[in-house]
Amino acid sequence: MPMQEKVEAQSILSMNSVEVLYDNVMLAIKGVSVQVPKGKMIALLGSNGAGKSTTLKAISGLLKAERGRISRGEIKFNGTDITEVLAQKRVGMGICHVVEGRHVFEHLTPDENLTAAAPLGMSRSVLNVEKEKIYNYFPRLAERRNSQSGYLSGGEQQMLAIGRALVTQPSLLMLDEPSLGLAPFLVSEIFDILQKINQEEGVSVLLVEQNALAALEIVSEGYLIENGRVVMHGTAEELKSNSDIQEFYLGGGEGTDFHNVKHYSRRKRWLS
Amino acid sequence: MDWIFLTELAINGALTGLLYSLVAIGLVLIYKASSVPNLAQGGLTMLGAYVVLALSRDAGMPLWLAIPLAAVIMFGMGFGIERVALRRLAGRPVVMILMMTLGIDIFLIGTTLAIWGGTSSSMNLGISYEPLLMGDIFISRIHLVGAGVALSLFAAFMLFFRTRTGIKLRAIADDYMASWSVGISVERGVGLSWALASLVAVGAGVIWGEIQGVDQSLSILLLKGLTVAVLGGLDSILGAVIAGVIIGIIENVGAEFLDQFVGGGSRELIVAAVLILTVMIRPHGLFGRHDIERV
Ligand SMILES: Nc1ncnc2c1ncn2[C@@H]1O[C@H](COP(=O)(O)OP(=O)(O)O)[C@@H](O)[C@H]1O
Ligand SMILES: [Mg+2]
Repeated sequence: MPMQEKVEAQSILSMNSVEVLYDNVMLAIKGVSVQVPKGKMIALLGSNGAGKSTTLKAISGLLKAERGRISRGEIKFNGTDITEVLAQKRVGMGICHVVEGRHVFEHLTPDENLTAAAPLGMSRSVLNVEKEKIYNYFPRLAERRNSQSGYLSGGEQQMLAIGRALVTQPSLLMLDEPSLGLAPFLVSEIFDILQKINQEEGVSVLLVEQNALAALEIVSEGYLIENGRVVMHGTAEELKSNSDIQEFYLGGGEGTDFHNVKHYSRRKRWLS
Repeated sequence: MDWIFLTELAINGALTGLLYSLVAIGLVLIYKASSVPNLAQGGLTMLGAYVVLALSRDAGMPLWLAIPLAAVIMFGMGFGIERVALRRLAGRPVVMILMMTLGIDIFLIGTTLAIWGGTSSSMNLGISYEPLLMGDIFISRIHLVGAGVALSLFAAFMLFFRTRTGIKLRAIADDYMASWSVGISVERGVGLSWALASLVAVGAGVIWGEIQGVDQSLSILLLKGLTVAVLGGLDSILGAVIAGVIIGIIENVGAEFLDQFVGGGSRELIVAAVLILTVMIRPHGLFGRHDIERV
């Protein structure tokens, strides 16, 4: 298919019909195909348990940490098949995954968090330049660079997790629900910074979000995943105007359909 | 009460305590990286002593060469243990890893018995047994040397944990998933912690081998080391040093008073009491980190 080849050539990431098994039995995603064009921001949307995190873990190689594996399909990064490449090698190739739930190194300072992510080969001066750049994007972190990270606020920890990923100098930055549990003003602050990073550094971004409304404001395309399959793919405009999306994810619909109930109970949990 | 005698007991107790710290530091290094108390640290200490002995007595090397070479060998051995015995357990319940370290301890005891037999050999460091007289106080020279080794290692590790590699190791101690996500090799980090603990075991093995002879009973040092590490907080090197001094003093001074009532064996009782009370009253020890809790 010449058409597909053309899409792949312009993609930094091209994931084709990938299936993932956990513990050799649990089929978590069932043939997911996702393309991330170079320099673009793409969103993966979908409700809880749809397979979004699994998709990111398949790309970053972190599946192995959870006894998961790719049982079918292939993942190409800049045209190279990385399906069998070790997770730490993928970081070196330019893929960095900010995992769900703000995993900062709690007993390290923000500054040490950034140092920890530096490749062993990165010189001290380059590292310092990188750090200053990150503190420029996130001035809140600069203020608290020497305090213990475990005591940062949720928003600051999310910023630190993103900053720490930037130290690895990624060309593809993947974020798993960065807005989770954050106040709306923080979400928009973080999303603005993501957009800036995307524009200024030319980093391609793959953003997983349940907060579809916020995500569709900054990405150019989105994929909707349900039950381990891509059920919709389109530009942000197309998705925003789609009636199903409006009903299920943008809070436009009424009634007691399954998805809304699920979202509601989950939201309640964040607040408690 | 004779104050000079009491001071002498306290100082020698503190020095002995620092020798327990030597064992405890190894435990702490591995605990930091894997959240498991390494039950093989006594066995490693014993092995460290045997390797030095094999190089100096059996292969005829001078000690100044045998000890560093043993350190290099044990350093590599630490990486090997992680690779062969522990890597396949990554992600398994901590109790499995704990049992594996116990298995390694028993394996090391059995191996040294098979190779060198069970008779005690002397280390022959050439340090005089004549105590050092400072003012009116007698101090054991070998204990003084051992305490110096413990404090030097402590200082070296404090510096090491500020280097980039040291910070990565602390990052691994905090969060495996986050470490992988930024390309830190957790496996190599855990291997490095075993290598460093094995290196420390050479220091502990040489000093303790000189004090009580080299045989399999060196592995029992695990119990003292573990008590010190638990009181210090299991993941704090500073804690291991300070707890060592505290336990050494309590043990030496306390035994002097208690032995007249219980007729010997009070050292063990005192150490047991410290361990049990720590676990009951302050489970994360003097300097152990609390898990940070936020809403
Ligand atoms: N480590 C795991 N072991 C087994 N099943 C898992 C694991 N992680 C996720 N799953 C399952 O895979 C499916 C997709 O999960 P996930 O990718 O986390 O969804 P999402 O991120 O969209 O909420 C769910 O059914 C979930 O229960
Ligand atoms: Mg998820």
